[in-house]
Amino acid sequence: MKRVIHMVKLTTGDIDQFLGRYSLGRDSSPLNSTGSQHFLRIKVPGGFLDSKQLRQIANLTKRYSRDHAEITNRQSIQLHWIDAQDALEIFSIMDKIGFTTDMCGQGFKGARYGDARNILCCPVSGFEKDELLNGAPLLRKLSDFFIGNPDFLDMPKKFKFSISGCGYDCTRAVINDLAFVAVKKNDSIGYTLLAGGGIGATLPGPRLAQPLKVFVETEDAFDVAVAAIEIHRDNSSRESKTKARFKWLLHNWGIEKYLNKLEEKLGKRLEEYDGPIFLKNGGHYGVQPQSQEGYYYVSVPFMGGILSSADMISLADLADEYGNGELSFTPQQNIIVLNVERKNQLLKRLTENGFSIEGPQLKWNSMGCASNFCGKSAAPHAKDVTNDLVEHLQTSFNKELLDEAAFRIHVSGCPNNCCANLIAEIGLRGRLTRDHGELKQNYAILLGGGFGVETSLGKQIEENVPANELGSKINSILTNYFKKRKTSENLREFCNRHSTEELKTFMNSVGE
Amino acid sequence: MSLRIEVQKNSEGRYSLDVRGQVCPYPELLTLRALQNLSSGDILEVTLDNPPSIRDISIVIEKRGFGKPVITNIDNETSKITINIPK
Repeated sequence: MKRVIHMVKLTTGDIDQFLGRYSLGRDSSPLNSTGSQHFLRIKVPGGFLDSKQLRQIANLTKRYSRDHAEITNRQSIQLHWIDAQDALEIFSIMDKIGFTTDMCGQGFKGARYGDARNILCCPVSGFEKDELLNGAPLLRKLSDFFIGNPDFLDMPKKFKFSISGCGYDCTRAVINDLAFVAVKKNDSIGYTLLAGGGIGATLPGPRLAQPLKVFVETEDAFDVAVAAIEIHRDNSSRESKTKARFKWLLHNWGIEKYLNKLEEKLGKRLEEYDGPIFLKNGGHYGVQPQSQEGYYYVSVPFMGGILSSADMISLADLADEYGNGELSFTPQQNIIVLNVERKNQLLKRLTENGFSIEGPQLKWNSMGCASNFCGKSAAPHAKDVTNDLVEHLQTSFNKELLDEAAFRIHVSGCPNNCCANLIAEIGLRGRLTRDHGELKQNYAILLGGGFGVETSLGKQIEENVPANELGSKINSILTNYFKKRKTSENLREFCNRHSTEELKTFMNSVGE
Repeated sequence: MSLRIEVQKNSEGRYSLDVRGQVCPYPELLTLRALQNLSSGDILEVTLDNPPSIRDISIVIEKRGFGKPVITNIDNETSKITINIPK
């Protein structure tokens, strides 16, 4: 046994204050060519922020992140090239503006240090005309409860919540661990729950969240969320990381056992609900009237979510001038300016400032991951592929046709599937290959996935497609779709009506 | 939440620091803080379980002229970094 002679006490007060609320994530791997070692993922609960906060993020971006920021598909904003030696200074600034970070514990080898990730919420909660329920109060209460709460910082793995009350699946509820979706039962409005979603590679493989067929009164929703995450914390496997996600627990338990456990913790039975879950397809695109008479929200697309500090300052200024300074990040990596009265003037100014708010819905709902930083892909990276494809399709097909097809493009740079390529009508999944010693980024093409009123996982049609061939193949499938579709049939329905072999043929010929 | 991290003196000139469970950037910052409190010729052994921090500490230690640290695996999840403070 060691004989302890002496202790040297460290002065750590400046560090203590940030523990459990702030961390840096790992960017670097030998294949990461950006030179970034760490990222800072700023939690923005529900994506809601104001112009002052956006300007402060712009300052951080310019000072520490080479003037490059990325809105994530969980409504956070991520900075790169963060030097660990600057971390305390950055955390201090963030603390002043009211933001924390995800606790990036994925670097640990064991099934430990999972936290509640930034909670997704409909980005126009409280503003959407005809919304069933404003999810923002539940979002705020849950976020305040979980951030820095030591009881929920060492779960077997992360846990993802989503909340939506607008009738759209604007938060991709089906790939969250627990989704609260507003529904109406008789004359009551509350939430129904979807559980166990997750389309990463961990066991039991990609899973869409399953309806629990219950009705939760709004006043019970907080307690239900806490009970649900406690079940994950106390029962999910700590045997290995691959078995540690909640979806594996639900897979093994089944819904009945899980619901029994949930109700036992709550000390009450939950009402049954067997009605519709999502009421409409689509999302929060372009300019839309708010529930507040005479006000609009304006959604500005940022495919891939990439922003400079100048972009952020410009949007903050416009939000102050034409709204009340309130904005939100969407789960599709866009920015919404809220509470706009003079919408036409704002649109004019947005255009003058270089923000394009014209084009097909594809511009608002397509996404690309940050594969250039995580080091598991080579150029061209997912965000570039997304941008190039959408641009390419806009030159080949007009807006009306593209909107009729009603599809999204989700591009992930690696098999981790962090950009949800399995639930897009067109999903691309990157893979590194070596060709004569040179690393190349090829993509698998998946078709027929989707979410909303109907949900489906995409099926892989081809793999190892070089990035420079993606445009022509996607073009061909769309050309065939427009020629062969049935009346009112969207691209997903078309893809799911045809076999893999047929789709492969369509993809490689322009049709007759 | 309080860290209560202390450097343990195991024998004359030999110290240890346990930062298991700490995520980036804390193991790196705490290691540097510990080194500030030690003297030339001392040895610091840092026990940690966050692989990205092993990489980060190794880089910053070399950059700051402490030489290449020795990394040993204690078990499947835990490593030890041994840093010699130059005389």
